[in-house]
Formats: sequence, structure tokens, C-alpha cells
Amino acid sequence: MNLEKVIFGFFIILALTLNVGFVLGEISDPGHHSVWMLFSALLVSMVTTLLKFGDRSQIGAIFLSASLVANLQLIIATTVWAVGEGGMNTPPSQEQMVTIISLAAGALVANIVSVLMLVTDTLMSRR
Amino acid sequence: MPATSELDRVTAVVLQYMRTPFLVLLATYALGITGMSLMPGLETGDGVGGMNLFHSFYFFTFTATTTGFGEIPGEFSEPQRLWATICMYTGAVAWLYAIGSFIRLVQHPELVTAVSERRFARQVRGITQPFVVICGFGDTGSLLARGLSDNYRKAAVIDIDEDRIKALKLRDYRIKMFGHCGDASVPRHLLDAGITRENCQGLVALTRNDETNLKIAVMARSLNPRLKIICRATSGEIREYMEAVGNLDVVDPYDVFSRQMCTAIFNPPLFNWMQRLIGALDFNLETSASPPVGKWILCGYGRMGRALREALVHRGIPTVIVDPGSEPMDHRLPVVIGRADTRALAKAGIEDAVGVVAGTDSDEDNLGILLSARKLKPDIFLVVRQNHHENELAFSGVNANLIMQPSLVTARQILQMLTVPAILDLRRYLRDKGLDEVPRLVARTLGILGREKIHLWVETLGGGGCAVTSLSLRGQVPTLGDVQRKPMDRTHRLKVLALVLKRGEELMMLPEDDTQLHRGDEILFCGTSADHRLLDANLHNEYTLHYLQRGTEMPRTLFSAWFSRRVKAD
Repeated sequence: MNLEKVIFGFFIILALTLNVGFVLGEISDPGHHSVWMLFSALLVSMVTTLLKFGDRSQIGAIFLSASLVANLQLIIATTVWAVGEGGMNTPPSQEQMVTIISLAAGALVANIVSVLMLVTDTLMSRR
Repeated sequence: MPATSELDRVTAVVLQYMRTPFLVLLATYALGITGMSLMPGLETGDGVGGMNLFHSFYFFTFTATTTGFGEIPGEFSEPQRLWATICMYTGAVAWLYAIGSFIRLVQHPELVTAVSERRFARQVRGITQPFVVICGFGDTGSLLARGLSDNYRKAAVIDIDEDRIKALKLRDYRIKMFGHCGDASVPRHLLDAGITRENCQGLVALTRNDETNLKIAVMARSLNPRLKIICRATSGEIREYMEAVGNLDVVDPYDVFSRQMCTAIFNPPLFNWMQRLIGALDFNLETSASPPVGKWILCGYGRMGRALREALVHRGIPTVIVDPGSEPMDHRLPVVIGRADTRALAKAGIEDAVGVVAGTDSDEDNLGILLSARKLKPDIFLVVRQNHHENELAFSGVNANLIMQPSLVTARQILQMLTVPAILDLRRYLRDKGLDEVPRLVARTLGILGREKIHLWVETLGGGGCAVTSLSLRGQVPTLGDVQRKPMDRTHRLKVLALVLKRGEELMMLPEDDTQLHRGDEILFCGTSADHRLLDANLHNEYTLHYLQRGTEMPRTLFSAWFSRRVKAD
């Protein structure tokens, strides 16, 4: 077992699980989606991006781009929440909630790609 | 370079054929339209109105082309009807004449050639990957094209025989080959075939006629001084001329053939090993019989028989020649004059001979010799020459110990010159001083590659993403053994074998696993295609190569580099 691999895998999978947690629920119901969940998903996603820096192999490049996509989508989702009517003090309107969840769902796909690649890369190297 | 005059030729032909028909059409139209406008029309409220010029033109157009909409724009008067009748006949006849001329034009041989030349030139210009120009699409040419297609290389083919080009277009090649029917010694055709293009890898002159090949070589050399030219030549005189042209490779099919035959007879392990590399024979390295040493009977004393006898005598092996004796020959030679039938073979002493070579240029004779020899002495070693590729089935029916096709041998030789030139150096090396090397090489091949299907390829180190370069920059120069390890488990070896390593001008034959690799090295490998891909991956992924070299994982990301430094520091 390799501690470095454990940390790497931990963050990548955590980014996915937090993202799933945020997206789950009725898409337009602000009561089903916590702003804290979104915040932590964004934070962990950024950490995984940092962890992926520096890999010069082919798969490393795609790894990083998947992470960048997730970041971008989550940042836009957070911005929509923050600058919408009433800011973060009041729950967003139904329409805004739908936009936020759509964006977060996109980030979810990018995170799934990341995890799939992590698993494939590990299985492929077979050592 | 002056622009090619094809367009001018096309224009000239079109003008020549279409000038009169166009004039006839023009005259008919002018006459019909003018006449129609002049004919008085029916009385209407506002006076006698004929047709205006536009209406006449409209009416004449649909009438002359036999469309016939009727009396448009209004009902006709009797004079108008009379003129309309004339219009119908003259218009239809004029059009028939014009269409007939046009059909004759598109069938005009000059035009057809010009158009197909332009199409060929355009197709060749469209090739972006490396390609080869083949002049002459006979047995050898088509075998070469097949070999190139198996290696995914394109070729532009020129042959003077239209049927051969038609045959080319019907072949099921893996990639498209372009063909053109024309005289390859005409510079225009060579230019169309793209010999001055950057991605042209070489020109192969394979026509039946040595003179033509020489002409092609001279033309091509003056059009492109840097082009790689390979020429087929069968006579020594032409060969000398060709060598004077400079910087071209001459392939003499008889020479290549007799050399290979000698290898087959005197060094069967090497021959079998070479056959294995090209995937030609069922592989039986260990069962290859030792060459029967003793008297050989050579049937046919042409250019090939001479080359073969020289080689045999050089090795101190007695020979008897059986030949109809149409050409004068040295009378001191042991010769039986006459067709090589049962009687002639018996006279040549087949009872105490060990081998018979049926090497005439007629396939029927060769088969006949084979059958007679088998009847006289069933256990004799039989070598037979197969001249025509299409007789393959007949030859596979008789059980000769060795069947050799000059065209196949030549095509293979040229293919190797074009795709894996280092194998020729290796072959020369093994033939000259390989008596100790060959058994070692054979054992090594069997040990590493087993009996799997293998192929040859060249790896050039360097370029973008080359792992050898980036590891060398870090001071960890990888060895040949490192890159040949299995990426899943470095203690195992890939089924690949390095044959020749070329560094600059220096050639290393059969490099050992501890040879250090450098940027710019060209390595000739043989191996299975699955492991070819794995080797490519090893050479292009520095992390994998680091693992293969050291057995430890190299930190891939900045985070893991930092982390491993921390762990080490603790």
C-alpha cells in the first residue's frame, strides 16, 4: 500500500461523493440542496486539481482537464447562487435552483470520468 | 519547371471536335429564330402580330430539343406553322449531330489519357503520408505493392500495359494504391507520380526491360537528385551503366535468387530464420536438415544457373549441368546436352547425386524435371524455381524440398530495402561471419519469441514524448533491456528482439540487452504485434520506463514529488 496513492484516490472519490450528495433531490426544491454541500464539493474539487498538477503522461493531461471542467461548472453554480435574488441569505428561486443543479450535475459527470480514469489507470498498470 | 501542357491538349482536342457542331447549332438557331420572328401571326384585335425575338427563342429552344410544348404563346398562323415544321427538323438534326460529336469527343483516346493523367496526378498530390513510386506492375511489382499495402504504405504505380493497371484497381489492398497507364520513362509521368514530392520515399523501376529501367533511373535521377532509386537489372552491362548514374540500388533478381538459394542449401538455419522473419514459411528451425553435401545436378544453365554453379564450385561442390545447350558454353564443364528428361538425368549420374536444381525459365520444364528426378531417386533433395506467380497451386502440389520464386525473392528484397533497410546489413553480416552467430541467434529467437507470428519494424528514438530522451536528460540512461521489459511485471520480457541498432553511421548487429540507448538511435526490432504496441508505450511513457529501469514508481504529480521528498526526509 502506498500512502500517497491513498491520499490521491481519497480526494478524487470524495469530490465525486460530495457532488452526488449535493445534486440528489428534487431539482427545483431549494430545501433539498444545501449550500454547504456545494461549497465543500467545490473546495474538494479544487484540491484534486492541485493534486493532479505536474503529470506529463497522456492520461495525466486528461485527468487534469476533467478536474478543470468540474471546477468550472461548480464555480459557475456557486456564483449563480451568490449573485441571485437575495444572495446567499435567502434560498434561491425555483428557476435559479434548476440552473444551479444542472451545472452541478455537469460537474458530477466530469467527476465520474475522473474516478473511472483513476480506476482504469490503476487496473491497467497491473503492478 | 514548365507547366504541364495537359490543359492545352484537352482544350485543343475539345476545340477540334466541337468547333463545327457548335457552329452548326449556332447557325440553325439563328436561322430558326429570325425566321420565326418574321412570320406573320394570326389576326388579333391590335393588328397582325408576329412573335418577338424572345418568344421565338423560347419556341425554338423547346422545339429543337424535341421537348414540344405546343403552340406557345398563342395559336399559330399558317405561315408560322410552316416555319415551325422546318424548325423541328433542322433543330433536331443539329442537336443529334452535336450530341454525336460530343460522345465521340469523350471517347477520344487522347482526351481519355489526358483526363486520367490529370486524375492520377491529383490523387498523388493528395497523398500526405510517405509513399513509393513503382514503375512496372508485373509479378514483382504486384507482389511489392501487396507487401507495401500490408505495411500500410501507399504506392503510385505506372505501367505501360492497360490491363495491368486495370488489375491493380481490382486488388483488395488495405490502403488505396493509385495506378496510371503510361510510359514510365517519360518525365511527365514520373512527375505526375510525385517523384519530386517531399514524402516520396523512393522509386522502384521494375519493368521487364533493363533498358527501360535504365531510362527511368536516368530521368528520375535528373529530376530529383536526392531520390532513392531501386532498379531491376538482369544484365551486367546495364548494371554498370546504372551504377554510373550514381547513388542507386541495383537489384538483380538472378543474383538475389542464387544467393538466397545458396543460403538455403548451405546455411539452412539462417535461411529458415530469415523466412521466419518475413513470415513466409512454416517455422521449423530445429528440424532444418543439414545441407546434402555431394554432387549436384543443375538443370538449366542460364543466368541463374551460372550464378548458382559459381557459388557451388566456390564451396568445392561438384556439379553436373543439364542444358539444351542453345547458348555456347565452356566445354570443359561436365555437361549433358539435351532436355532434362529421365534419360538426361540418368546420364548426368543422378544415382550418386545428392540434389537436383530445376532452374530453367519454364515452369512446365521445371515441374517435369521434378517428377522425373523423384521417380529416379525418391529421396533426392529437390530445389525448384517457380517463374510465374500464378502457377503457385501446381508447385505446391509437388513435394519439392525448396520452392523459390525469383519475383517473390526480388519483391521481398526491395520491400526490405524500402521499409527495413537494416535487415539487409544484418543478412550480409550473418552470411559472412555468422557461422557461430546463427545458432546462437536461432536459439535466442526461439527462446524469446517462441513460435508466434512476428514482424519487423524500426523504432527511431527521439521526437516529442520520447521517454528515452527525458530519462537520459535526468541522467538515467536506459538500456535496451529496460525498454524490453513487460510493463505489468518488469521481471518478464516482452516478445521482442532487437536485431540492429543504428547510431549515426555506426551499425551494431544483434545488440546486447545492456546496450545504452541514445536519442537518434534507430533500432530494428522483430516481435509479435501485441508486444510491438507495448514496446511503443514503454518508449513513450517516461513513468513506465522509469519503473522498468528502477523497479520503483516515479512520482508523477508535483504533489507526489513533494510527498515522497517529505517521506524520505522523515
